[in-house]
Amino acid sequence: MVTVVLAGIRAELTKIVTLRSTWIVTAAVLALHLLICMANLRQNTEAVATITPDGLIELFAGQPRPAYQAIVDFLVSSSFQMGLFLSVLAAVLAGQEFRAHQLGQSVLAVPGRGVLVTTKTVAVAAYLLTVSLVIAAISTAFMYAAVRGWDPAVVTSGGALRGQGRFLIFAVLSALVGYALTLLSRSTLIGIVASVALIAVTMTQALAGSAPALDALFPLSAGRNLLLNPADSRLTAGPVHALVVLVSWPSLTTAIAGLLLSRRDAR
Amino acid sequence: MIEVAHLTKRYGAKAAVDDISFTVPPGRVTGFLGPNGAGKSTTLRILLGLDRPDAGTALIDGRPYRELRFPLRRVGALLDGAGPVPERRAIDHLTWIAQSNRIPRRRVHEVLDAVGLGAVARQRVKKYSLGMGQRLGLAAALLGDPEILVLDEPVNGLDPDGIRWVRTFLRDHAARGRTVLLSSHLMTEMADTADEVIVIARGRIAAHGPLDEITAGHPSLESAFFALTGDQGPGW
Repeated sequence: MVTVVLAGIRAELTKIVTLRSTWIVTAAVLALHLLICMANLRQNTEAVATITPDGLIELFAGQPRPAYQAIVDFLVSSSFQMGLFLSVLAAVLAGQEFRAHQLGQSVLAVPGRGVLVTTKTVAVAAYLLTVSLVIAAISTAFMYAAVRGWDPAVVTSGGALRGQGRFLIFAVLSALVGYALTLLSRSTLIGIVASVALIAVTMTQALAGSAPALDALFPLSAGRNLLLNPADSRLTAGPVHALVVLVSWPSLTTAIAGLLLSRRDAR
Repeated sequence: MIEVAHLTKRYGAKAAVDDISFTVPPGRVTGFLGPNGAGKSTTLRILLGLDRPDAGTALIDGRPYRELRFPLRRVGALLDGAGPVPERRAIDHLTWIAQSNRIPRRRVHEVLDAVGLGAVARQRVKKYSLGMGQRLGLAAALLGDPEILVLDEPVNGLDPDGIRWVRTFLRDHAARGRTVLLSSHLMTEMADTADEVIVIARGRIAAHGPLDEITAGHPSLESAFFALTGDQGPGW
C-alpha cells in the first residue's frame, strides 16, 4: 500500500508541475506579493530610521508601537494577506481533473478513490507549502532590507519564525478548503467562487460584531485569530480554537469530496 | 480473462445495461458491437472501475479492476471518457501515468515511438489532430505492457496506416496468448480483426460467439449485425 501511495503522490506532483496554469497562477501570486513588498519597502525603511530612543515605531502614521512587535506583526501580516490568493491556486490544481476527462484517466491509473484523493491531497498540500514558503521568504527578505540598519535579527527572531510558521499552517489548510470545494463541485470556477464567498464573510466583518462565535468558524477568521495580534485587531477566538477550525475545514470538505468521488461515476 | 456476470446499470428508470453476462478469453480478439446507446461504453466503464454497477460483477482475472494493484501493468485501456488535459505535453501526460503505476520511464519513449508520436512528444496535446490524440490514447493503453487490452473505438480518426498498425498489433497481442476486448462501429474493420464477437442491443446481449458463427447465413458481419440488433440498416 505504501508503494502505491508514494507512486500516486509522485504522479500527482508531476501533474501539478506540468500544468501551465499552475505556473501562471503561481507567478501571478508571487509577482503581486513582490509588488506589494516593494511598495512598502520605502515606507518601512523610513519608519525604521525614525525609531525613537525608547523603541517606538510608526509603521502607520499616528500609531506608535513597540518596534520589535510592530515589525514582527507587519512581517506576518504581509505573508498572511497573500495566503488569501492560494485558494485560487488550489482550485486550479484540483480543477484540472475535470477538464477533458482527465478524471477518467486518473481513475484508470489509480482506481482506489481513497488512494486517489489521499495522494492528490498530499501533493497539492506539498505544492501549496512550497509556494507559501516562497511567500514567507519574500516577506522576510523585504523586511530584512528595511531593518538591516537597526536590528536585522528581528526577521529571524523566535517571534518572527513562530509567526511565519503559523502563516504556513494557515496558508496550506485554508487553501485546501478551496481545493476540496473544487473537487466537490467538479468545477474550478465554482471552487473559486465558493472560496471567495467564504473569504468575504470575514472580510466584510458581517458576523464579527453580531455573532463572533459564528464568525470564528470561518477559515479566514480562523487565520486572523491564529496570526494577528489581539492588541491590534478585533479577534473572535483564540489561537487554539483557530487551529481546530483550520484543521476541521479541509478535513471535512476533503473527506466529503472523497466520499462523493467514490460513490459517483467518474465523469 | 474478463468475466462479466449479470451486470446491470440504470440511469433513472432507463437500464443502460440490463443483466448482461459474457466472458472474454485470452488468446482471442473479442469484438464488442452495438448501436449507439446500446450499452457498450457503460459496460467498459464499469469493467474498468469508472462507473458503479447497480447489480452484477465485472472481473479481470477474478478481481474487480478497483482492487488491482498498479492496474495499468495488467490492463491497458482506451476510453472516450478518459483523456489528457489539452495544455499538457504528451510526454508529461504519459509520464504521470507511468509514475502512478511504477512503470519505467523508458516505456514512455518506447510507446510514443511505437505509435509514431516520438517526434512530437514535447508538443502540447491541444496541437494534436484527432488521429494524433487517438495515438496518444493508444500509447497510454500500452504503457504498462499489459496482458489485457480494453479498447473503445481505437481506430477512430486514424489514417489507413494507423488502422493497419492497430489491426496488426491486436492480432499479434492475441496471438501471444493475451486478451483483447475491442469495441468498434467499423464492421469491416471488426470482421478483419476479431475472432469472437459480442453483440449488444438495448442493454442486452443479442449474440455472442465466434465470428464465423455470428456471420453464418449472412453475407457480411454488417448484415448479421443489423439482423441481430433489429436495425433496418441505412437511414436514420
